[in-house]
Amino acid sequence: MRIDVVGDTLCAAVTAAALAQTGHLVTWLLPEGHYWQSLQNDGEGYHEPGLMALVREQVEAKHLTIQAMGGLPGEPAPAVFMALQPGARELADAVLAWLVQRPGCEVLINQSVFPVGTTEELRQGMTERGEAIPVVCLPDTLQEGRALQGFTRPEHILLGCDDAAAEGMIREILRPFNRRQDVIQVMRPREAEFAKLAISGMLATRLSFMNDMALLAEELDVDIDVIRQGMGSDSRIGEAYLYAGCGFGGPGFSRDVMSLTDTLRSRRIDAELLEQVLQINERQKEVLFRKFWRHYEGEVSQRRVALWGVAFKPGSDRVDNGPALRLIEALWAQDVEIHVHDPLALPELARWADGRGPLVLHESSYDAVHDCDALMVVTEWKEYWSPDWLGLKGVMKVPLILDGRNIYDPSYVKSKGFQYYGIGRV
Amino acid sequence: MALPLHDTSMARQAEATLREHAQFAREWHLTDLFAKDANRFDHLNLRACGLLVDLSKQRVTLETLSLLRALARERGLDQWTQCLFEGRDVNWTESRPAMHWRLRESEAQAPEVHQQLALMERIVNRVHSGQWRGCQGDAITDVVNIGVGGSDLGPLMASVALHEHFPSVGRRPRVHFVSSMDGSQIAPLLDELNPATTLMVVSSKSFTTVDTLSNAATARAWLTGAFPDMNGAALRCHFIGVSAQPERMTEWGIHPDNQLQLWDWVGGRYSLWSAIGLPIALTTGMDYFRELLAGAHDMDRHFRDTPWEENIPVMQGLVDVWNLNFLNITARAVLPYDGRLKHLPAYVEQLEMESNGKSVTRDGATVKYHTCPVIWGEVGPNAQHAFYQLLHQGTQPVACEFIVAARHGRRNGNSAELQPLEDQHRLTVANCLAQSRLLALGESALPTNEEWPAFMHYRGNQPSTTIMLEELVPRQLGALIALYEHKVFVQAVLWGINPFDQWGVEMGKRIAKDMVQVLSSGKSTDELDASTRALADYVRQLQDI
Repeated sequence: MRIDVVGDTLCAAVTAAALAQTGHLVTWLLPEGHYWQSLQNDGEGYHEPGLMALVREQVEAKHLTIQAMGGLPGEPAPAVFMALQPGARELADAVLAWLVQRPGCEVLINQSVFPVGTTEELRQGMTERGEAIPVVCLPDTLQEGRALQGFTRPEHILLGCDDAAAEGMIREILRPFNRRQDVIQVMRPREAEFAKLAISGMLATRLSFMNDMALLAEELDVDIDVIRQGMGSDSRIGEAYLYAGCGFGGPGFSRDVMSLTDTLRSRRIDAELLEQVLQINERQKEVLFRKFWRHYEGEVSQRRVALWGVAFKPGSDRVDNGPALRLIEALWAQDVEIHVHDPLALPELARWADGRGPLVLHESSYDAVHDCDALMVVTEWKEYWSPDWLGLKGVMKVPLILDGRNIYDPSYVKSKGFQYYGIGRV
Repeated sequence: MALPLHDTSMARQAEATLREHAQFAREWHLTDLFAKDANRFDHLNLRACGLLVDLSKQRVTLETLSLLRALARERGLDQWTQCLFEGRDVNWTESRPAMHWRLRESEAQAPEVHQQLALMERIVNRVHSGQWRGCQGDAITDVVNIGVGGSDLGPLMASVALHEHFPSVGRRPRVHFVSSMDGSQIAPLLDELNPATTLMVVSSKSFTTVDTLSNAATARAWLTGAFPDMNGAALRCHFIGVSAQPERMTEWGIHPDNQLQLWDWVGGRYSLWSAIGLPIALTTGMDYFRELLAGAHDMDRHFRDTPWEENIPVMQGLVDVWNLNFLNITARAVLPYDGRLKHLPAYVEQLEMESNGKSVTRDGATVKYHTCPVIWGEVGPNAQHAFYQLLHQGTQPVACEFIVAARHGRRNGNSAELQPLEDQHRLTVANCLAQSRLLALGESALPTNEEWPAFMHYRGNQPSTTIMLEELVPRQLGALIALYEHKVFVQAVLWGINPFDQWGVEMGKRIAKDMVQVLSSGKSTDELDASTRALADYVRQLQDI
């Protein structure tokens, strides 16, 4: 089948590549932004395991055509997927206008993260213009770092759809990914949108809960990691999303929670729990700074600090809303000299820091810690898990480790002559 | 230029002429003055710096004003004003200038002032961006201003007045004020606050004021008690000092980086423009604080450069003198018709009564006339339900001062959502105009020919000034406050007194020190008067239980 995918989100890229891989003839239409440029210039595009290789493979196999969105001149395919950046509502309206003007589309599948109710609004817009093309919602629940796998071997698929013909068509398109057992759950579009946000809200709540517990653990002299294992082994709770750390971020996660609180607030419901969740998270993003500040009793001006990892999670090049940014701002404000290492995210970080403040970026993680008064581990990249402790101690001015992801064994690190602070452990 | 003489034969002559004029004026009724001159408002309103000042409800004519100006000329107001702005020692009892106007000058004119403003801005921006850190590394959410008198009333008044103005970036902290020496303000406040996120501003020009230092000591005990392991950091991260005495700040424990300075040439009650105004800047952001200074600077230039006929501080000062010394109206009510100005009466009470509550002229003579009247006030609409009864039907003549903003000035004021609040503002302005009208005209303002019993009569003829702001924005508030400052100066010149000292306050401080000894040790009670001794003994008895 001919399929159009519109947008430049990770979800759009994964959708385009995965559908092409199953034999569809996919045209991927991108707005002419950063990703378009990168794809044009044979740049890196998306830092998602396996994704770019698959994209190139499908382009070569001529299953996948990449085009600029432009004025959307062509004839639309029978199925149009739309995975736009959050808030890009005007692009959604442009797509709508295109489908109304040029016949051919039989179903519009909205994957963009817009406020709850948007899919139904788009459908309404379609009807007002005299077109009865169904609009359904297939919320983007992909996790960065395992997005491709998440799309092709999903544990569940939420489908917001109230049109039998459209549902049949979607089921046909998703059939190769839905073989072992039927994981598609059909609900109303607004329910699918809401469920997606509620998932993010619940996960965020678990993380903030654990971070709150971590504070208590420090006071009570217990290790939060032991508590985590104890909790996780209870089947009613499960093990996922129980890691205390220096705060969650990323382009999607905190944005979803914010969107949910906004929705609650716009309906005049106090989003008390979620606001606390976000507030705890914002506080948590500065937790390494606070430990650093307390260690030096507030005398931190002119000191030198190394950050290992600035990506909001390992495997990603994105820094959006991540703890590293809050940390860097706090350090800047106290005139601390900042040295940074990250295997992937330095270009994104440099873009963000441009015009805000000075950073020294390092290719080598050991160069970054040279002469430093503290090392802050912000992202748990695999390469940080087992450093050369002797070498580290040799180059650091003060052997002080602030472990924002609890990736080290405190007693071992201390035995190597370091002062160590983790999250929720003494 | 030397300070001009107060009591000259020409001055005496000018005053005698005014007294003659006053003989007639005492018989005037405002109703008749308005009836006689249809253009009375046009002749008797002044406009400058965004303010409209209506003197037409004062019991004056153009002739009165002209005679008052003649008296001012003979009292040397021109030269005095010149001396003020030249930085001469107009504060003659303490041999120093009074240069609050300098705090409002440009960077080129007053570099040392702007250096302190820059330090202040750094602090303000750090707090607003969440980057001023408590000793635990937390962002500051609450600021407590510890000060009294000029270090309290001015910042409190302006912070509340400008509360609807938010910093352009970042988030402002909650700003609290504690002043009372008995700890009754600070104790419940500390119960509510989190020491990790609270910043104390200890404000005292001399840094010896016992009220302030006792509150500051309580705050210090609270913070060091909360963080016993890090006393150095607790002091360094949670205390800012504002004073003209850096070495005393250091001695007390304020870190040199956290010290803001003012100068001996600023009186405490004239100091909200300096770093003493830190709570204002923390409330509004530095941009609005600079607007406040700009508005005051507008008024400085207006006062210094405008001919007296159109000069608001001069004319208002003269009219106040007229009411007090020639019409014998010894009380004045300050009545803001705007809840945001609720602390203005207390501020004006201090500014005027501490400045002009004096009775000795420069040559050491005791004055034979009234100086500062008794001043009190309250938010107008609330006062209508409190003491307006006395204004309308009591026996005391009272001069009133109405302060009101024509527009509330809130953003999106036209939106449907804010319409109820805009209506409330209109209602308030209507009440302001109605009250000044009724006070002036009495029952002739009422549209009825009915016969009323005596107890329902309104005699009217209570004079008032209406000061109307276009809207309550920092610039116009700055001009309004500077107007009061300069008006006080004009009156002091007319009365021949020094508005910049406060010797009457000093002695009480000293005696209180001895009294503490008496209460704690019981010693030297023999030297006390019978009343004080008995009271002190009684307190000691009850304390011993």
